[in-house]
Amino acid sequence: MNASLQSLTNALTEIVGARWVKSRAAELTAYDSDGLPGYRATPRLVVLPGSRDEVCAVVRLLAERGIPFVPRGAGTGLSGGSLANDAVVIGLNRLTRIHSIDAGNRIAHVEPGVVNASLARAVSPFGLYYAPDPSSQAACTIGGNVAENAGGPHCLKYGVTLNHIAALTVCLPDGELVSFGSSVSEDTGYDLCGLFIGSEGCFGIATDIWVRLLPVPEQVRTLLADFSSVTDAARAVSAIIATGIVPAALEMMDQSTIRAVEASIYAAGYPVDAAAVLLAEVDGLAIGLDDDVRVIEQCCRDAGARNVRIASNDADRARLWQGRKKAFGALGRIAPHLVVQDAVVPRTKLPQILAEIHEIGARYNVNVCNVFHAGDGNLHPNISYDASDPQQSERVHAAMSEIMHACINAGGTITGEHGVGLDKLGYMEDLFSAPSLAAMCSVREVFDPERRANPGKVVPVHSCREWSGSSRH
Amino acid sequence: MSTTVAELAAQVAQAHVSAEPLRVVGGGTWLQAGRSCFGTALRVGEYVGIVDYTPGDLTLTARAGTTLEAIAEATAAHGQWLPLDPEALPGATIGATIATASDGPLAFAMGRVRDQVLGIECVTGTGEVTRAGGRVVKNVAGFDLVRLHTGAWGTLGVITEVSVRLRARPEVDRAFVVASDDRVSLESRLAPLADLLIAPLALELLSGALATALGVHDHMCLLVRLAGNATRVNAQVEALGALGDVKEVPVSVFDALSRLSPAGAMVARVSHMPTHFSATWRHVMDHLSASQCWQPLVRGSIARGVVRVGALFEQDVPVLERFVRGMAPPGAAVAWEMLPDDGWQYVPSSVSDRVSMGLRRALDPAWILNRGLLGESMDAVRV
Repeated sequence: MNASLQSLTNALTEIVGARWVKSRAAELTAYDSDGLPGYRATPRLVVLPGSRDEVCAVVRLLAERGIPFVPRGAGTGLSGGSLANDAVVIGLNRLTRIHSIDAGNRIAHVEPGVVNASLARAVSPFGLYYAPDPSSQAACTIGGNVAENAGGPHCLKYGVTLNHIAALTVCLPDGELVSFGSSVSEDTGYDLCGLFIGSEGCFGIATDIWVRLLPVPEQVRTLLADFSSVTDAARAVSAIIATGIVPAALEMMDQSTIRAVEASIYAAGYPVDAAAVLLAEVDGLAIGLDDDVRVIEQCCRDAGARNVRIASNDADRARLWQGRKKAFGALGRIAPHLVVQDAVVPRTKLPQILAEIHEIGARYNVNVCNVFHAGDGNLHPNISYDASDPQQSERVHAAMSEIMHACINAGGTITGEHGVGLDKLGYMEDLFSAPSLAAMCSVREVFDPERRANPGKVVPVHSCREWSGSSRH
Repeated sequence: MSTTVAELAAQVAQAHVSAEPLRVVGGGTWLQAGRSCFGTALRVGEYVGIVDYTPGDLTLTARAGTTLEAIAEATAAHGQWLPLDPEALPGATIGATIATASDGPLAFAMGRVRDQVLGIECVTGTGEVTRAGGRVVKNVAGFDLVRLHTGAWGTLGVITEVSVRLRARPEVDRAFVVASDDRVSLESRLAPLADLLIAPLALELLSGALATALGVHDHMCLLVRLAGNATRVNAQVEALGALGDVKEVPVSVFDALSRLSPAGAMVARVSHMPTHFSATWRHVMDHLSASQCWQPLVRGSIARGVVRVGALFEQDVPVLERFVRGMAPPGAAVAWEMLPDDGWQYVPSSVSDRVSMGLRRALDPAWILNRGLLGESMDAVRV
């Protein structure tokens, strides 16, 4: 270890204690990747502060020494956003306290390291729940959800993380602690809380998060419809949305996904000969819910559904969901690596884009499985492959690039809930003009003029250089 | 006259070079709001038209000067609507609605303005045309400047085009007034709400003066909007009976509600935690009485903890100071929308913090856009 690294280790140890500074190669390996396969980067050090004060002290120390840092939650992100190339990783996993749950006002004050599913468990005795439910909810943290503006299947009705955060306390990249939003009243002034959510660790570290909670719906009904064509399933999606009913979730899986699920321990009883299945859920007041179920069933049948199955009890419902929630796990069994992509298209473009994705997959000889939030037009084209095979990796990346451009050309976007991170950086210039990217850079510089917080992510660096020249008059 | 975004951008770029302040003008219905703010008019209200509307996507993109009425008309033809009901006069534009983040009773169930906006095109203070977000309903590509511009009152950029999320119109949409015994405390009257199995589209408490002005009742009452399928709405109408006497009123009463503030009124939103609603309401009503504001038009979004006040005030300046400073009870926040010029000196700026001022310097370095509207000082902006 060189002298400056030793000095940094010593200084960090003084703040958090020796146990919480990781510097050995074997220790750093655990932090050299996230949920995005094929990318690795070794951090300079990993530090795990145990309190808000320690976070700020660590960030201030790094600011004094001009050292870049990457905040990290559970490392379940799928865009390479928490990769740290010679930067210091600030792991927030020790900050797992739920400070308070105010059931009357449906708000909880939590630390960033609280796991999404743990929060759900903690608030359930109050008849409440936290709506955003990313597939990784058993492991991902609320802080990571805030950084990525995470979504999940139930975001169709209830919105993404942004819609469920009332206030934040943020440690800025220079170590100053500031408050955004309000946990007790309407916020006034600029929506800094909204701006911070989804900033992927580039604006600082949220040390305190006030999440909004919802009452558990009186009743939930779940349906599974299967179709002999993906187009029919997509038509059913449009028809359901057009009725005015907002389902709690409206998820689609194509045949490749269905077969992977049914061949796994997560088998949910999906018909393996179906071209697609649609999982629809409605919730709310019990009265009138059956009417909604009947309308949705009819929409599916009118669109050509072969069968519509309505879950008869909680166990049946859980089984239908198991296939969807564990689809990524099932796909992960097929090959050593699984790339889970994320893009959004206008809902009416779903049939067209699914056909294009199928054609692209065939052309590159890769197996694309689609499991996605159909009601939002939020696609997750996934490819199982072996990242150690360079030729296969190249084909996968080329296919994904074409899929991204097809989504952009269809009027969509490159990410609906996974973030830009490193993976999508190259598409930002296809999506945004130079002045638009430059404006984002200028906003970033307000928070972090030295660009030390999660450097090299979200906006291409050269876009920032252009802005720096044009904005200083 | 500016009619293209290029012309608007050129006007801003010119003003940036000469450091000449601009006053962004949409439909002109919001010009009385906020602090006095002078500058050459930048007429975004002339930049009108729906750019893209695919009903199957339930999204719509419109130029900023497009009126809310024009959007309502276009979407109604397809059984859809943009569920925003700000307190706004006819001619109010979508650009101003988003710039001011003005929401109304529908925010209870449909979310606030920030929840409906998907994408924004705006001209920064240097005259650059920028975009953020997009036209799809989920999007996390890049930093969320959509949220930043929503509610920034045009001080970080001039909104020129927006994409918004639409909803299908519910099958049934009805409004009801619920009246109960005036002699019982507000807490007791509202207590049954907690256990009531209802999921209203909107639920507002109206002051007696407001109920009278609307022609729905002559005392304090609840105004409830129920929507959805007929079975669900009918069951909820029955459930409302636990709160008092239920009377159906035309659903158009909600349109009237959004247009009621009298000319020259002072308008404020006082907010606190929902569990403090009754206390907040009582404080505001007592304060208005003590300030000799008779017949104030007051409504409260109970579940959001927000009390909205529209009141005429004709006292002298020392009384005005007490009036402004005392509007919110301890712990609550107050956001003033309209006040006489003399009153603003008692209202701290909401954008005086380091990050807000930094954003202003970054996006409007010559401080030309709606200068002073949010109470920011020249020293803070130019540090």
